[in-house]
Amino acid sequence: MIKQSQTLRALLPGDALTGGGTDVGNKAALSEIDASCRVPVLFFFLSGLAWLLAGTVLALVASIKLHTPGFLASWEWLTFSNVRTAHLNTVIYGFASQISVGVTIWLMCRLCRIPLVAPGLITVANLFYNIGVTVGVGGILIGDSTAIEWLEMPRYATPILFISYALIAVWTIVTFRLRAERHLYVSQWYLLAAVLWFPWLYGTAQVMLLIEPVRGVVQASVNWWFAHNVLGLWFTPIGLASIYYFIPKVIGRPIHSYYLSVLGFWSLALFYNWNGMHHLVGGPLPSWMITVSIVASVMMLIPVITVAINHHFTMLGHFGKLKYSPTLRFMVFGAVSYTLASLQGVASALRSVSEVTHFTHHTIAHAHLGMYAFFTMVMFGAMYYILPRITQREWPSNGLISLHFWGVALGIALYVVPMSIMGFIQGTMLNDAAVRFLDVVQFTLPWLKLRTLAGLLLAAGHGAFVINVGWLLVRMFEPYRKPVVRILTGEAETVAAAKLP
Amino acid sequence: MSVIAFILLGSVVLLPAAALMALRWAASSGQFRCPDKAALLPFDEVEPVGLETDRILGGNRR
Ligand code: HEM
Ligand code: HEM
Repeated sequence: MIKQSQTLRALLPGDALTGGGTDVGNKAALSEIDASCRVPVLFFFLSGLAWLLAGTVLALVASIKLHTPGFLASWEWLTFSNVRTAHLNTVIYGFASQISVGVTIWLMCRLCRIPLVAPGLITVANLFYNIGVTVGVGGILIGDSTAIEWLEMPRYATPILFISYALIAVWTIVTFRLRAERHLYVSQWYLLAAVLWFPWLYGTAQVMLLIEPVRGVVQASVNWWFAHNVLGLWFTPIGLASIYYFIPKVIGRPIHSYYLSVLGFWSLALFYNWNGMHHLVGGPLPSWMITVSIVASVMMLIPVITVAINHHFTMLGHFGKLKYSPTLRFMVFGAVSYTLASLQGVASALRSVSEVTHFTHHTIAHAHLGMYAFFTMVMFGAMYYILPRITQREWPSNGLISLHFWGVALGIALYVVPMSIMGFIQGTMLNDAAVRFLDVVQFTLPWLKLRTLAGLLLAAGHGAFVINVGWLLVRMFEPYRKPVVRILTGEAETVAAAKLP
Repeated sequence: MSVIAFILLGSVVLLPAAALMALRWAASSGQFRCPDKAALLPFDEVEPVGLETDRILGGNRR
């Protein structure tokens, strides 16, 4: 049993203190933990999905405008720069971050083996968060963008978001302190680190870029130190934490090597935060700064290969299960994409490659290979596992699950592969003084149309998922029926069913 | 500028210090002992090793 202060203990649900099977220090039943997470996690998931839909529409508009500039051209708030920036901010802060928090809450409770504490705190955080993103994206669309990449939301929106991040960090620490399981699983290392890193990154960047702005190249360095670490110290750890939990859980086999997973965590913590300046290769920075980042980028091969080996060997002999489990499909797709995105990233960090690929669509392809094919797919997989458990209802339609998977899997492949190739050719053309700039633009057009097609496939997948989630929620209000398709198997199902009215 | 200097110096000192403390705590509280046991943490008696927990697709209807 761990030591806990009286104040913290008071946060545990009443029956956790007085018995009910979950005395402090005793581990709560999984079904009880799932039920306690229902409302807050649903809040984060549903608002995240609403932002995904908004971000998808904005993405399609931005994509169409790049090959058909006259599209919606008479509305000044829908210029390409506004729409593209609004897309980035809705999907990063509105969608990806909120789903991350929902998944973090559920994983922390499950691995700490306690029911959710302080649901009010986390609900207030969600409310602040959505107000912040709405004000921020609205501000961007009316032309108030700060023009600092990844920090475009105007100054009047960001303090609201900061409060929310801080509340989430406080909640995570409280949950950690109250844990009934003394040992930490590798996923908890990643989650705790991400949740503590992010408010620090966000706060520091806000002060140094918006509140008391630094000047010149320092501004660019802080900008990319922040933007890179959003990817490396916020999304990546949460994505990896999820893979480390869900693959073993779904296939019923522990992770291949726990040693490797710990090595992966500490090497990521050591190297990722040095990477930021690889976004500024060729920029007017002291060259040692860029060189340090390139070296750190190559060192990232250690955590990346560690993770790849570990996940591959865990899955070995279990690939047949991809047929049955949507969670596993999305997770494995995400895990493979993580390796590919990182290898592509390491290559783009090298000076000789960056000379060609920087300022081209190659970087956009890499961004979506990382943020979509890796991160978003992992989050979809996590939601497929979590939602039926917290709502105690089965997924209503297998057809929609398949439509979702194939729509987004084919869509993202059609996005990333052609754009990576096209970006490379575009870069070679741009570097050739004999080629006219307009010819380069002409060359990109058919590829950009292909990207819009890919976007439509992705949008269809998102639509299928949202309909399935909506249907699941409707089922929550119907009387409980014994599931036709079993998600919770064996004992787990009996325990879960016993809890229902 | 003073705020920035504070943040920079604070970060440079505090962050590595926090990381080292976390590492020390982990080592002293036995987090790195018995890694094989740690790998079992996602499982319990209700959902033990060997139990698949997400069979939905592919004709698994009963
Ligand atoms: C070891 C791993 C990685 C390395 C070394 C790496 C390297 C890079 C480099 C050098 C760039 C800049 C390209 C340019 O502007 O010319 C870049 C951009 C980017 N990377 Fe990665 N990457 C890695 C993994 C990832 C992962 C896992 C994600 C997603 C979670 C990701 C998401 C992005 C995004 C979104 C951008 C575009 C940023 C922007 O321009 O707005 N990367 N990466
Ligand atoms: C319907 C699916 C999507 C389509 C069609 C799409 C399309 C686009 C387009 C057209 C851009 C602007 C590219 C440019 O400036 O040349 C963009 C940027 C970006 N998108 Fe998406 N996107 C989609 C989904 C997503 C999702 C779900 C995420 C993240 C979770 C995401 C993350 C990003 C990022 C990080 C950038 C900035 C890239 C950079 O600056 O290098 N996108 N996207």
